[in-house]
Amino acid sequence: MSQDLLEVYNLTVNVGKFSLQDINFSMGPGDYVVILGPTGCGKTLFLEAIAGLRAPNRGALFLNGKEITYLPPEHRYMGFAYQDSLLYPFMPVKENILFGAKARKMAGNPEILRRMEQLAAAMNITHLLERYPRFLSGGERQRVSLARAILTRPPLLLLDEPLSALDQQTRHAMQELLREIHHTEGIGIIHVTHDFSEALQLGKRMLVLHDGQVEQEGEPLEIFYHPATQFVAKFLHGENLMPGRVFRQGDEQWFECGDGGFLLGPLPKNRLTEGLSESGKLFTLLIRSGSIRLGRVAEGSAATNCWTARIKSVIIGSTHVDVYCHGNGRWQASLSLAEWQGLDLRRGEQVRLSVRPEHLHVISQ
Amino acid sequence: MVNPRIGFFQGIFWLVFILITIFMVVMVGGLLFYGEWAAFLSVIQNPEFHFAVVFTLWTSLLATALAAVVAVPCGFILSRYHFRGKALIDALMDIPIVLPPLVSGLALLILFGPVLGNTLARLSLDVVFSARGVVVAQWFIATPFAIKTFKQAFDAIDPRLENVARTLGCSPTDVFLRVTMPLAKGGVLGGLTMAWARALGEFGATAMLAGITRMKTETLSVAIFLNMTIGDMQFAIATAVIMLIVALLLMSVFKVVTGTGVRL
Repeated sequence: MSQDLLEVYNLTVNVGKFSLQDINFSMGPGDYVVILGPTGCGKTLFLEAIAGLRAPNRGALFLNGKEITYLPPEHRYMGFAYQDSLLYPFMPVKENILFGAKARKMAGNPEILRRMEQLAAAMNITHLLERYPRFLSGGERQRVSLARAILTRPPLLLLDEPLSALDQQTRHAMQELLREIHHTEGIGIIHVTHDFSEALQLGKRMLVLHDGQVEQEGEPLEIFYHPATQFVAKFLHGENLMPGRVFRQGDEQWFECGDGGFLLGPLPKNRLTEGLSESGKLFTLLIRSGSIRLGRVAEGSAATNCWTARIKSVIIGSTHVDVYCHGNGRWQASLSLAEWQGLDLRRGEQVRLSVRPEHLHVISQ
Repeated sequence: MVNPRIGFFQGIFWLVFILITIFMVVMVGGLLFYGEWAAFLSVIQNPEFHFAVVFTLWTSLLATALAAVVAVPCGFILSRYHFRGKALIDALMDIPIVLPPLVSGLALLILFGPVLGNTLARLSLDVVFSARGVVVAQWFIATPFAIKTFKQAFDAIDPRLENVARTLGCSPTDVFLRVTMPLAKGGVLGGLTMAWARALGEFGATAMLAGITRMKTETLSVAIFLNMTIGDMQFAIATAVIMLIVALLLMSVFKVVTGTGVRL
């Protein structure tokens, strides 16, 4: 018997000309899975198919080992919260939270009322219970929406971009609240977003969707540093993407930037570099901006994986600095504000860029 | 600070707006002041007038209720589902709005006369030249207005509000009763008001299908027509004034109720 909370096999859903194709996916009872992808890639459709709001054309879904493929949404016991909270405007907050309990004829249960009060206290909305939704702020509405979704302790909570309509400060508070809910309720969460930093902060696992298909699945940081495809690398803002070729030198593989450019390597051996060959095929090298080290030219520019470039522009942020350089290509390096101040470099100066071989990542084109 | 000066462009618009307002006020005022108060008092004590008022009220209310029974599912289907031929069916349902009421009445007369007349007669459900015919004619004319406004009311609801209700444990029927209808309430009430107003003033289709028979199929509109034809202007004007007051009241209710943006 399966221990998974949710299993999805070959899920295919067609809506007009768009199609969610052959999705295979599973998650454990306490997993926090983030589904990431651009607008129109099928994230919401996937979530709605799991909730039973979209009938699949093919495939099967299991919840706690029980098939739910054709079970109507009201019998799946999943919590669902959309981006814009979608509270019922004709009833006060308290009634909104109790809506699901009433639909399931549980509203009279003293345990449910106690639970509602506990949730309201935990989410800091006790003082809002008698108010109507139109008098609430975006963050307050979203907290009410979450309380409504988890009141009856569903095993799985589906969140469709729940934070994207909120301002920065409220979003941080809501991220903290989601972590808290996940921790205290022990609930499985599938969280759809197009914001990678949100995915990184909340997700234990991540699925990247593109054109209705799973482009990559794994831990968020692993995907961030080792995207499997050019699409994922670009979508996750891969700063330094350099075309070139891979060739073998002894039992090592090296990357030649551009056409006859400088060499970087040896490439780390991992599952993604196993299939690389020296057949002359073009590949793309990804170096994360945080992996490029910046130094003064005098510090030994001739070493392996070092090259010189000139600083073209500098963007100073509140915590880190992005430095854009030209030389053997265009490069972006990110360093902490303190590090930048310590280097005392200026725009137009020549600098030494370096990267450690383990931070080189090659993607097939 | 907004510049209070009005340019040529706005000036033309204001001029047209003021002229049409004056025209409406004069037209309504003419109707109100042309009649004589004594005649008005005598008309409202007239049994024929009482019959017309009561008959119009019950037939129009029944027709409106029947229109609602049809318009709720039709408006919902047209709002929520996409299917082949939807535009054509939508246009078909609007036919009573674009057809002259006399033509609608003629079509109804053929349907309930030569086509279904014998069957209905065997079931003792005669429609032609009866009070039932009045209700059918009013229902036929009022229903498209109800369908249109109800559809707009359903269109204005985010379907995801219904989705959330499904995930919270509501069956499709529960969702409709507990979420869709409360959210569409303003538009539905507005639609009913408009449908009732249409039924209340219906004349052409009623005349064709139910006939113009004094104290039998005599609605207020029919009463005005009948008394005009025999030269009783005071009766016609008094009845018209009553209908005008009712129409103004209905439109006020409609505008207040449809603060939801439902339009015809």
